[in-house]
Amino acid sequence: MIRIAQLSCGAEYSGIQRELERAAEIVGAKMISPEVSLEDVMEVEKRFGVSVPSGDLNLIMARATRLVQNPDLADAVFVATCFRCAEGAIIRGEVRRYIHEHSRLPVLSYSFTERTTAETLLTRMEALVTTARMRGLLARERQTGLTAGIDSGSTTTKAVIMRDNQIIGTGWVPTTEVIKSAEEAFQQALQESGVKREEIQGIGVTGYGRFLVGKHFDARLIQEEITVNSKGAVFLANAQKGPATVIDIGGMDNKAISVQDGVPGSFTMGGICAGASGRFLELTARRLGVNITDLGKLALRGSYKSVPMNSYCIVFGTQSLVNSLSKGARPEDVAMAACHSVAEQVFEQQLQEVEVKQPVIMVGGTSLIEGLPRAMEDLLGIKVIVPNHAQYIGAVGAALLVSGMLEV
Amino acid sequence: MVKVIVYPPTSTILADLVDRMGHTPLVMANEIRKKIDTPSLESPPLNITPEDPKKGLKYAAVDVPSGVRGRMSLIGPMIDEAEAAIIVEDNNCLVGCTGCARTNELTRLLIKIKGIPFIELKYPRDDGEARRFVHEIRMFLEGLK
Amino acid sequence: MRVTKYVITSPESEILPSDIAMHIYGSKRDVHVKETCFGVIINGEKDEIDDLVREIRAMDPNGIFIKDRGFPPGDPRRCRGHRGGGPRPGFFMLECESKMLPMISRALEAESRNAPLPEAAPEKTPVSMERLVEIIKDEFA
Repeated sequence: MIRIAQLSCGAEYSGIQRELERAAEIVGAKMISPEVSLEDVMEVEKRFGVSVPSGDLNLIMARATRLVQNPDLADAVFVATCFRCAEGAIIRGEVRRYIHEHSRLPVLSYSFTERTTAETLLTRMEALVTTARMRGLLARERQTGLTAGIDSGSTTTKAVIMRDNQIIGTGWVPTTEVIKSAEEAFQQALQESGVKREEIQGIGVTGYGRFLVGKHFDARLIQEEITVNSKGAVFLANAQKGPATVIDIGGMDNKAISVQDGVPGSFTMGGICAGASGRFLELTARRLGVNITDLGKLALRGSYKSVPMNSYCIVFGTQSLVNSLSKGARPEDVAMAACHSVAEQVFEQQLQEVEVKQPVIMVGGTSLIEGLPRAMEDLLGIKVIVPNHAQYIGAVGAALLVSGMLEV
Repeated sequence: MVKVIVYPPTSTILADLVDRMGHTPLVMANEIRKKIDTPSLESPPLNITPEDPKKGLKYAAVDVPSGVRGRMSLIGPMIDEAEAAIIVEDNNCLVGCTGCARTNELTRLLIKIKGIPFIELKYPRDDGEARRFVHEIRMFLEGLK
Repeated sequence: MRVTKYVITSPESEILPSDIAMHIYGSKRDVHVKETCFGVIINGEKDEIDDLVREIRAMDPNGIFIKDRGFPPGDPRRCRGHRGGGPRPGFFMLECESKMLPMISRALEAESRNAPLPEAAPEKTPVSMERLVEIIKDEFA
């Protein structure tokens, strides 16, 4: 049983404590509370460096201090405070950083509302538990044998075939019906690699359709995207040792993952705002009458500064773009403005929550829209790496990890 | 007998003083008891469900964190019911029901603007202060009709 | 309606939690009693508990403090054994106020005798700017 230390303020009073516990239970974990004394809470300033008016936040810091002193008390840490609480957000960030720096415990940081359900937490909890439970498997750096990975995403389905640490075949199709698309992508990859289905020694699946697809293919590994993408990213970017930051702007959600030696340390998963997703760029491309694959190159020739964007929203933001076009803005500037808008939203809402350590690796289909990594580079002030096969990140990670399971 | 809300609403000392002087203390424990004794709900530990922060909208807008609104769904009805109040500050031990400073600020504000008699004190630090503390509370409670 | 109350003895009270428990057992009331480090938790029908509270207070009128508790004793929804360890949130407040109880007890006792109120300590005010300048000059003289 994996023990997740719950360091939270407001969960019981938001009516979501049961949801937290249910999510933990589904992924085979249990929420626990580290023991602290009144003195620990009263002296939090002395030990942690700050105290705040809200006692429950001081309690969080006291518990964090205790966990750092006794990391054996838990296997992972869940830090959560109410959405829209400034005091909570500051302390949550600091507690996450503190535990990340002073222990090897994986940390998940989250801000909740009364609408938070076990389902919204599931992928995050699964990743937290996997990181705690499968450190050995995650330390794997080479793919061995002949394996396949399938990434069933909300927008596209990707597949790769790998043999002896090399990608020998890829498949990429838009997601229509989850299983049908997975079959198609897999067939493409098999065809390209010249390998027969029955020769494949193990299949790993990830992405939001992973459970359905995993069952269909009788996959050895069915794993959420956080762990798998981290692994795939550091493998492709050749950054398996040391720190790295992985940014994945997807169709349904965005991930920002702080990785150490290929293992996710802390991470955030953005919500489902279409304005911060590849969908927004798709819409922009359609409005500009260019193919999505050309939008990035177009953006590189433009500047976002001459296009006023009044909203990150996919509806109102698109309106701003259309207005600019009608006033004579250049298509390349509009393309860059769209890329900048997406990057800025991820920068403001997610990258503040993780340690941005170099190298910064951008992955997923959106990373191939060149304007997007460029916009991210401008915002971060550092170089961003987009590795080869960046769009197959999840499938590569799954193929790599499943090969480790074959030897067990 | 007057219904007296005490702040902090989890204080033993204040609940006891109100009770021993013949008034009814309005305290958090009674609200929690109502919650946990509701048989149809199964949302441990406090049986607060996502519906409760919505009830808290009566006391705070939707852009106030859910934890504040959830707590206000417990404390708000006590303030509505109160006929007098004792407010004591300077306690750094407030966690759980009183673990959110924003809720506590809102609680004190709503009590003060309600137009009921109230006194404001600080927790005593020595015998002299304790003596005045108890005396002032006694005088206040005796003066309530 | 069943209610639960904390009965807390001041650390300086001569009455021990076990004395209170013994009193309740001796009274043969249909009341559930649990001893804790601060006192006892009692649970029973409201009328019965109200009567009992009067009796318990009489054991040491200035040294016993009573308040309501939401959960009955040992409720698995709150019990740390069932809830992943860690102290219950209400515990800290109890511990914090418990330290003040001897002062409150002495004050209640003085109040019951109508003893004269001690003078309030004068409020401290910030030092004047002129005085601060003098202090700085002295320090660096």
